[in-house]
Amino acid sequence: MSGAASLLARVLQPFATVGAISAFFFDVTRTALTSPRYVGETLRIMWILVVRCIIPVGLAVAPVGAVISLQGLEIFRMFGLDRMLSSLLGTAIFREYSPALASVMVAAQAGSSIAARIGTMRVRGQIDALAVMSVDPMRYVVVPGVIACAIVTPLLDVLTNVLGVASGWLFAVPLGGVDHGAFMEHLTAQVTAADLWVGLGKCVLFGTAVGLLAGYLGMKVKGGAEAVGQAANDTVTQTIVLILLVDYVVSMALLGAGL
Amino acid sequence: MSVLLEFLRFAHRAAVAQFTHVPPLQQLVKHTYQASVGSVALLTMLTVFAGLNLSVQSYATFERFGGQDFLGMFAGIGGVRELYPVMAAVVCGARIGANLAAALANMKISEQVEALEVMSIDPLRFLVAPRLWAVSIALPLLCGYADVIGIGASYVGAVYQLGLDGGTFFSQLKQFVHLPDLLVGVFKGLVFGWIVALIACFHGYRAAKRDGAEGVGVATNRAIVHGAVVCIVLNLVMSWALYG
Repeated sequence: MSGAASLLARVLQPFATVGAISAFFFDVTRTALTSPRYVGETLRIMWILVVRCIIPVGLAVAPVGAVISLQGLEIFRMFGLDRMLSSLLGTAIFREYSPALASVMVAAQAGSSIAARIGTMRVRGQIDALAVMSVDPMRYVVVPGVIACAIVTPLLDVLTNVLGVASGWLFAVPLGGVDHGAFMEHLTAQVTAADLWVGLGKCVLFGTAVGLLAGYLGMKVKGGAEAVGQAANDTVTQTIVLILLVDYVVSMALLGAGL
Repeated sequence: MSVLLEFLRFAHRAAVAQFTHVPPLQQLVKHTYQASVGSVALLTMLTVFAGLNLSVQSYATFERFGGQDFLGMFAGIGGVRELYPVMAAVVCGARIGANLAAALANMKISEQVEALEVMSIDPLRFLVAPRLWAVSIALPLLCGYADVIGIGASYVGAVYQLGLDGGTFFSQLKQFVHLPDLLVGVFKGLVFGWIVALIACFHGYRAAKRDGAEGVGVATNRAIVHGAVVCIVLNLVMSWALYG
């Protein structure tokens, strides 16, 4: 009997987690939309995020443009379409790889440290101390992190778009022998503003998810240092799964909408 | 810069320890089991969505020139040569690497590593070598597994969601994806996994007692981020050397 009960509990566990995260999300939204707001704290976290993430994010996305050029060129050559390479490169970087990878690196670098920070505060009783001083911990600790992630990720995405296309250009034009004029022509003709906005919109979505999961897992920490490490780690793996899932759903929706 | 030198020195010592010393079977099985079976669920979820997405994405690109029938080739080459090995390695970094770094940093902080040295047991042989062997075995397996799941997902996406012909998908796949591509992908997975594990062990090993519990968090975080960045950069270098 207890076996069946524990099996049922295990099956229902993911639903409970989804429910808890949704409740957390509504809580964060409600808190973010009402005053008082801690703008200074948000800006401080944003600055830390930019400084800490800019190098890993740049280093992670730049090689991807080069790899797309490298492999894409081989495929496009078979059909004598190598002049068209930049339209594949541009859309792939702007819509897919730059947003997804930038967000994954933000999750790895910033999300885990936000979760660790909140978790440490929880373990040390600082969260309860804030509540005692009638500072809402949600408002002061969680919401600035979520807002900072949601704003910083698209900002980084702009940078990585440039880096990705530039490295793709490097491997297509000087190293791959594609004509520079043809490369630029197809890039500007085929890559539209919609591609850019889709990418940036995804980044806002992913960034919010990173901040939200980091806040949720950080606030849930119970126990000692080990639980903090676990929360930081879980933030990374769970956001990567979430990012890929959302990415796929968004891609399907956009394809259906004909964008 | 000095960190890089320190890493190279550590890499040399760890590689010597790994290749001069075959770990006891029991330890090897334990670590390999943790690294491989422990990552299967996460890797499955990731590759399913990556494979589906690869189909949708290449459909959106190739439809512009009416080339949607080439989706099988694109999904196959892009996935097997590039995407799945990198993905297996980054997952390995986020899960296995983080666990390695946390475990070693914990031992370092609680001075268990020094205790081993006092007993004149080489910690690199005793702690690092079995873990490196385990990852070297697990990663090629995970990578091959990711290839199968990812291509399966691409097929499902192409046939059941985009309404393409399944036979065309497979004939494209057979025509353009060859055994060397698969082997190169699996080899990439092996190299990335080894490097990720080495970086994780290095960061775990660097933690000192004075860092305290926070040191464990820092080591874990660095292991994940550095591992991912190094994998992606290395992937470019290897692809350039092999296909450029």
